Amino acid sequence: MEKEEFQIRIMDYLSGQMDEKQRAMFEKEIASDPECQKQFDAAQSTWKQLDNLERTIPEPSESMDTAFYGMLYDQVEAMESTSVSFLDQLLKLLQRLWKPQLAYGIILLGIGLVAGYLMNDQGNVEPANTTIVDSNETEEVREKLVLTLLDQPSANKRLQAVSEATKLNSATESIINALFTTLNNDPNINVRLAALESLTKYVEKPEVRMGFIQAISKQESPLVQIALADLMVRLQEKSSVDSMKQLLEKPGIDTTVKQKLEESINHII
Amino acid sequence: MHALTDNALMLKVKSGDLQKMGLLYERHKKRLFGFFYNMNSNASLSEDLVQNVFVRMLKYKHTFTGEGSFAAWMFRTARNVNYDHYRKSKKSGQQHDLSSLEFKLTDEEDMNVKMDHNDSVNQLKRAMLQLPVEKREILMLSKYKGLKFSEIGDILGCSEGAAKVKAHRALNELRTVFLKMETI
Repeated sequence: MEKEEFQIRIMDYLSGQMDEKQRAMFEKEIASDPECQKQFDAAQSTWKQLDNLERTIPEPSESMDTAFYGMLYDQVEAMESTSVSFLDQLLKLLQRLWKPQLAYGIILLGIGLVAGYLMNDQGNVEPANTTIVDSNETEEVREKLVLTLLDQPSANKRLQAVSEATKLNSATESIINALFTTLNNDPNINVRLAALESLTKYVEKPEVRMGFIQAISKQESPLVQIALADLMVRLQEKSSVDSMKQLLEKPGIDTTVKQKLEESINHII
Repeated sequence: MHALTDNALMLKVKSGDLQKMGLLYERHKKRLFGFFYNMNSNASLSEDLVQNVFVRMLKYKHTFTGEGSFAAWMFRTARNVNYDHYRKSKKSGQQHDLSSLEFKLTDEEDMNVKMDHNDSVNQLKRAMLQLPVEKREILMLSKYKGLKFSEIGDILGCSEGAAKVKAHRALNELRTVFLKMETI
């Protein structure tokens, strides 16, 4: 058995950390080795002697208790007072800080509210005015732009004019006239189709519908003719039948258009 | 039951319920007093040191984690209190040598104890006081304080096995000193 391990086991034995079985085994083991037995006996006798020493320990006096409870009481008091005084101090500090700041805060808030209210009030009125003025102005400018652009030699510009005309909220007579002129006379089919498209916005107006009927017989391009025929079917415009029949009688008419016109006439009737 | 364990009580103290320290004091005052008394054989000094241990435990209550046993933590504090006391008294020149001076019994009580007990006990006591502080300490902790060696290892900062070996060596040395006294 190693020396240290033996010492550890002696201490286990003496301090009662061994159970019955272990104790018996340990006793048996050391009994077979006189040197170990000697060492163990020495340790055991000293250990037992220490029991006597324990008996010499006097009882602590009552003054120890008095001193302890006095100390504990002081500590509890101190803790409570520090926590209370800390709270007090915090409150005082807050009060000192709060008074002027709260007042400033309220004043600033008031000023802010009033200023905000006033500014908001003005803001509500003014932008409304400007938008009205703006939209009126835009309409005027747009109208002029449409009329000017329709006179341009470039088909592109005229297309732009027609698309600008579509953006107008309400068309004046001059615009409608200009658009019909384009529909009937423009050399470019695309521009004529765009003008037709643009004019469909105002079909509620009787003069626009009349214009369409008159336009039917004037059209040369099969695409525009078909578009017009479709539009008539959609509008169920009975007075357009005559114009369509007139167109049918024109020499050299496209067979597709012819078919389409006949269909349309049947639909309307 | 759990609420009444040493660890649970100390954790309550830690969280601000200082009153619970009273219960811990009642449970451990005798153990602590005995520890100090065996270290210095001076009852009134031991009482002061017990007081110091509780003052210190209150002061450093935040260091108690509840992981180890309360007893181990308490005795670690007690050891520190003991060392600090000796360092201080050495500095102030009151006591020059622990082992040679302390076994002189100064208290009235101690005088009574001396008269009441037979010579061999007094001899053992003197022998004990001649041991170096660390050895006396480990004998006290292992013999009287109902601590497990694992806890003693905790207190001394060593393994359980090392604590047992140390205790055995202290026991041997005590015997040597004791036997030497007999021969004088």
